[in-house]
Amino acid sequence: METTDLNLFVRTSEESIADWDRSKIVDALIRETLIDRDTANEVSKDAEQMIRRSGIKVITAPLIRELVNAKLIEKGLENTRKMHTRLGMPLYDVDSLILHPNKENANVPHGPEATNLTLSENIKKEYALLSVFSQDVADAHMNGDIHLHDLGFIDRPYCSGQSLEYIKKFGLDLPHSLSMAKPAKHPEVLLAHLVKFAAALQSHFAGAIGWDAINVFFAPYLEGMSNGEVKQLAQMLIFEFSQQAVARGGQAIFTDINVYWEIPQHFVGVPAIGPGGKFTGKTYGEYEKEAQRFAWSLFEVFKEGDGAGRPFFFPKPIVHITEKFFRTDGHMDFLNLISDVAADKGNTYYVFDRGETAKISECCRLSFKLDERDLLDAKEPWRMRYCALQNVSLNLPRLAYLAKNDDTQLFNLITERFILAVKAHKEKRVFMEKLLSLGEDGPLALLTMNRDGMPYLRFNLASHLIGMVGLNEMVQIHTGEEMHESKRALKFGIKVMAHMNLLTDKMRRQENMKIVLEQTPAESTSYRFARLDMRYYSPLSGRVVKGDIASGEVYYTNSTHFNVKCAMNPIERVTSEGIFHPLIEAGSISHVWLGESHPSYEAIADFVIKTFKHTTNDQIAFSPEFTTCNKCHRTSRGLADTCSYCGSPDVDGITRITGYFTKVSSWNKGKLGELKDRYRNTEYFSETKKKAVNE
Amino acid sequence: MSCTVHNVPIRGFLETSFIDWKGCLSSVLFTGGCNFRCPFCHNPELVLHYNTMEEIPLEHVILTLRKYKKWLDRIVITGGEPTIHKNLFYIIGQIRAEGVKVKLDTNGSSPFMLKGLVNDGLIDSISMDVKGPVDRYKRWCGVDINTKTIEESIQFILEGTVEYEFRMTVVPFLHREDDVYEAAEYIRHAKRFTIQEFRPHNTLDPSYANIKPFSPDKVTKIRENVEQIMAGSNEQTVVGRQQSAIKKPMHINTQRK
Repeated sequence: METTDLNLFVRTSEESIADWDRSKIVDALIRETLIDRDTANEVSKDAEQMIRRSGIKVITAPLIRELVNAKLIEKGLENTRKMHTRLGMPLYDVDSLILHPNKENANVPHGPEATNLTLSENIKKEYALLSVFSQDVADAHMNGDIHLHDLGFIDRPYCSGQSLEYIKKFGLDLPHSLSMAKPAKHPEVLLAHLVKFAAALQSHFAGAIGWDAINVFFAPYLEGMSNGEVKQLAQMLIFEFSQQAVARGGQAIFTDINVYWEIPQHFVGVPAIGPGGKFTGKTYGEYEKEAQRFAWSLFEVFKEGDGAGRPFFFPKPIVHITEKFFRTDGHMDFLNLISDVAADKGNTYYVFDRGETAKISECCRLSFKLDERDLLDAKEPWRMRYCALQNVSLNLPRLAYLAKNDDTQLFNLITERFILAVKAHKEKRVFMEKLLSLGEDGPLALLTMNRDGMPYLRFNLASHLIGMVGLNEMVQIHTGEEMHESKRALKFGIKVMAHMNLLTDKMRRQENMKIVLEQTPAESTSYRFARLDMRYYSPLSGRVVKGDIASGEVYYTNSTHFNVKCAMNPIERVTSEGIFHPLIEAGSISHVWLGESHPSYEAIADFVIKTFKHTTNDQIAFSPEFTTCNKCHRTSRGLADTCSYCGSPDVDGITRITGYFTKVSSWNKGKLGELKDRYRNTEYFSETKKKAVNE
Repeated sequence: MSCTVHNVPIRGFLETSFIDWKGCLSSVLFTGGCNFRCPFCHNPELVLHYNTMEEIPLEHVILTLRKYKKWLDRIVITGGEPTIHKNLFYIIGQIRAEGVKVKLDTNGSSPFMLKGLVNDGLIDSISMDVKGPVDRYKRWCGVDINTKTIEESIQFILEGTVEYEFRMTVVPFLHREDDVYEAAEYIRHAKRFTIQEFRPHNTLDPSYANIKPFSPDKVTKIRENVEQIMAGSNEQTVVGRQQSAIKKPMHINTQRK
């Protein structure tokens, strides 16, 4: 062999030290790329010569690979180099990752499991950008034109809506699991199945796991239980989900539970499944009282908070306010209770389902009207499993920088980016199809299990989400005014969203894919876009990004929301923001930040009823702020530097980041900037006062 | 800016408040000027510099109330001290003509105005601040006043039929704990007495901004003690910021097994 004269040891990736062997380079090139043997030989020789000249004694396999890549570039073999790329992270990054917390997602704690998650996410992210998506899509993501959410979870669907009926009917019988459980006979066992199944789903989806009508589906198990026992069960359910931060990456399972005071019309006549997975002989309509008992208990537990009086971060309770809600006995009492929770702890999400058409909540607050096929599904509710494959958000302010105040240009750019987002969805879809086609032997066995004549994941019904960040700043750049500042600006914002709504419709038909507009929560994306635009579009961007440029705490306003800082009458906010909601199918919400003020539940309940009656707003939540003490383990209202009980400075602030509560210490810089700006509906008067005094 | 025919300096208008009228959504109207100088006052601009503040025309208030009619039908008139303005009758009259309910926040220094407004049927609810025990009122409110007026207002409110609450802001160092109990004793027949926590923020006497508020435990204890005192009377009294208990629907209330 002509290579033996090189006296060199190689640290291979298989944790061994081997003698130098040039042919391994050739083998790798031929195995991994489409290069011919002669060129491969030539490249390997060139690389060998370079190593020989350097006089190095021990070399690592990754370094050899990069040297070979350098030679491929010299030869202009760009495609070959790409296929031959190595994924990984610099030592420095790994070191700081292990030592310091990750701030991209406040729902990731800091610990070995979390580090593992981030490491693998990083490699999968690189993999996705190199190998799942085409170059233009990947580049658009890298430079911040669009954001492909959860790339680190490229091999999973995005989020999902589940039905408890599935495990009630089929038990816990998961592919490749160590044991199989028959349908639960007792409520506690059903709860255990629910939590384990949720954990299994968490490792197969990137984001939220939602459960539809949870109190309704639990109802048949509650007959004969005392109120105390029902409360105990509610407490178990909430603590189980709020303390599940021990599973994937140390992350809590991002859980939504949908709660109804009434029995939703489409479930009224549906045969109920009870203990042992058997039909009870009654319909869900006959379980209204039991369902209400469970709903009541759940909110009593939310009101109490955790052991330190803090709000529970998960599960997030979503209450559906419908026309039937107002016709159901006791609805005012229940509205008072959930509003008391909203005022005191902030947990309650109010979702407004107006009109008499049957609607269902999917994942990500995506609700849709049931068509005939869905109504058939509703008769066998275990079939009601939904998912979104991916979420792609558009950087709207950037389009306004590019359009230079030209309307035609702006709308044209929106269309272009929209089409690019659809392309990203198609590429993800192809990739997911590949993984799912491997069936129960593939990586997504759980999603392909077939217990009722169809795979668990109903791929043909999957949604593809397209979100938006910074409509307010886009309008500001283009028209010179923010959306709260004039009717003209607001109208322009509506025009943009109407255009996107129309595009959604067209593309949906053209591609035959369920494309859906969503208000992106954009926990880190609003920061990322603002940061990148500060780099590429200064000084223009400096005038519109929100937050504090000097400290780097910059952000764009989320989705179609109004400036969080502006002192705006909450009636005006829910009304004006609500104008956009009918144009956006998924995830629309308006936030009312409460700060330390503590309104009475009657005032909140009154506001909620009027929001339902007088606006087109889809969803509202009220967000108080808390300081919790790590020393005396008590919690007080408002964000403070020291504990108001014991004076200790060892405290954590808690409030809603986007769609959930979490500790402020875990927030990224953009969100911290937003927190400082948030108008809390209490300072309205003092703000106007100060303005007047200063003038 | 606008010609103030009614002569009441409206210096602030909050369209929607969740907290100023217990249990209701309401608007809030702030009048400028006050005859008290409570050192812990958290609206000092309205007391000291209201002349430099922008005037809000009554027409704007009326139009806004009309605009939000579907949402709210209540307004809180607060200050400053509204009752120092003789023409308060006029603006409240205008507001009531819109079918809006009115709550008056007052320090009780003008029983004459208070009686007039109530007897004319202009007021639906009264919140009166009790600054401390009546015998040392100068200490609490920063000015020499005839405490007979305070006593007269309290008596009038207690004997009247209009819904009311008394409120007291408890300030460390200024008030001793016993002062709160003494004040409570004085109005022990009241239906509602709210103990408010002092917030060291933007105070009239700047040195008060350095006072550390009572710990929540202490406030809870004070509220409990006040409740004890008030319970001595035959009326059912609500103390503190607690709200009426939430009613449970029948079927959830009844125990079953």
